[in-house]
Amino acid sequence: MAIENTQELILNMGPQHPSTHGLFRMIVHLEGETVTKIIPKIGYLHRGMEKLAESRTYSQFIPYTDRLDYLASPHNNWAYVQTVEKLMGVEVPERAEYLRVIFGELARIASHHIMIASTALDFGGSTPWFYLFRDRERILDMFEMTSGSRLTVNIMRIGGMCAEPPAEFWPALQSFLDDSPEMLEEYYGIFFGNEIAQARLKNIGILPKELAENLSITGPILRASGVNYDVRKAEPYSIYNRFDFKVPVRTGCDSFDRTMIRMDEIMESLKIIRQAVRDIPEGPIMAKIPKVIKPPVGEVYHRVENPKGELGFYIVSDGTTKPSRVRIRSGSFINLQMLPIVAVGWKIQDLIAIFATMDAVLGEVDK
Amino acid sequence: MENKELLKQRVEELAARVSGEVKESFGVFILKVKAPYIIETLTAAKSFTDVPCDFLHDLGGLDLGDHFEVVYQLSSLRGPQLLRVKAIVDRENPVIDSVTRIWQGANFLEREAYDMFGIIFKGHPNLKRIYLWDDFEGYPLRKDYVTEPIEVRNIVRTRIEGE
Repeated sequence: MAIENTQELILNMGPQHPSTHGLFRMIVHLEGETVTKIIPKIGYLHRGMEKLAESRTYSQFIPYTDRLDYLASPHNNWAYVQTVEKLMGVEVPERAEYLRVIFGELARIASHHIMIASTALDFGGSTPWFYLFRDRERILDMFEMTSGSRLTVNIMRIGGMCAEPPAEFWPALQSFLDDSPEMLEEYYGIFFGNEIAQARLKNIGILPKELAENLSITGPILRASGVNYDVRKAEPYSIYNRFDFKVPVRTGCDSFDRTMIRMDEIMESLKIIRQAVRDIPEGPIMAKIPKVIKPPVGEVYHRVENPKGELGFYIVSDGTTKPSRVRIRSGSFINLQMLPIVAVGWKIQDLIAIFATMDAVLGEVDK
Repeated sequence: MENKELLKQRVEELAARVSGEVKESFGVFILKVKAPYIIETLTAAKSFTDVPCDFLHDLGGLDLGDHFEVVYQLSSLRGPQLLRVKAIVDRENPVIDSVTRIWQGANFLEREAYDMFGIIFKGHPNLKRIYLWDDFEGYPLRKDYVTEPIEVRNIVRTRIEGE
């Protein structure tokens, strides 16, 4: 039935909107319920991290990196301290490397928990939220034991870790690992086995492989579009070449596979943690580094595989105690470019699902 | 290592063609070219035989006092090759060609570089500030930007200009 004299509706979503996962605003042009154009507006959370870094010493900037992707703060610390270590030529002790892997992978699991939970919540399923937050709580407790804080942990230092995990950390980690298969089964049943989830996500928001590559998409979204690329395998940093794990790849290119791939990654992360716990050696957790950190003149670019995409730091040093330039390449910011392209032509409720499965964190988008 | 030798050869060939210079730092080749050659350089790097650097990983500005640089980090999803291309941009007239025609992913990144450094990317579909509001004054990541609050900045400015 053709409707005559329809008018384009311009809808302003956000910045204060529960489905925008932070302060993100999009101006959506609608033809009925169909999206015809999206103009993303970002910058509501912009703190000028790159400028702040220029007036802080190298060590002082570590807590700022927590506030990038605040759902996986150990990873941001890791990317930054590794960049500085590469610049200074610091060798990190074995035990510290293993601890970094354990905390990094725990953070990845916690971040994917949020992603799955909030995706479910965005289309009205509130039960998965409680299930996943129940389990995420245990990871945050482990962070708290070691660093004293739960979300912005500031757990790594240039040359090692901030502290040795306390005695109660290891039993807590072990019981988490023991319970994890059961947890995953539960998530699968309540979320992925759900008919509504399938109907709302399957074949929605197709991001073809070529487009993903052209848009510089990284992380789980790229792998859900059928590209087998993971920095942990392609350019193993830290000690990732010692672990036996797979890179999950899915070829659906749709919202459903973008969610499912997070489940697969949780499984692989658990595998890595089990191996790290088995192999972790005794020893110091800090390298011998000078009190005043003064990297030599030079520039370095280093990237790690964050839960949301690749996080890269480009640091230019002029030989003083403060960096001359810190450039942050954040995964979420670049991944956000797919939204105005992919979501056009879908209904407004699909737009919410596409945005949820992109898993953009606005702390990282706005820097 | 074969890959690296091959890449070195390709980069040096390209450098001779676009009158650029090649350096190596932490195992990554750095190719420095002048701004007008950037499209030619990146198009060639994208289609290097056997070692294509076809994934635009990052793009960002850099203030070096007397000139700006736009730093492109290239990599590939099918190989270990890494390449850093630097384009020298004039400080007085910071104009460079946009690479959005080669990689759509450069869209936000170029807007960010414009926002922070005031580098103008010719041919960009929508070159507007991305983080800061439209009538923001100045470009914060330039080294001569005064970070004090705007009232203080005005006082500083009148003093400098008054002297």
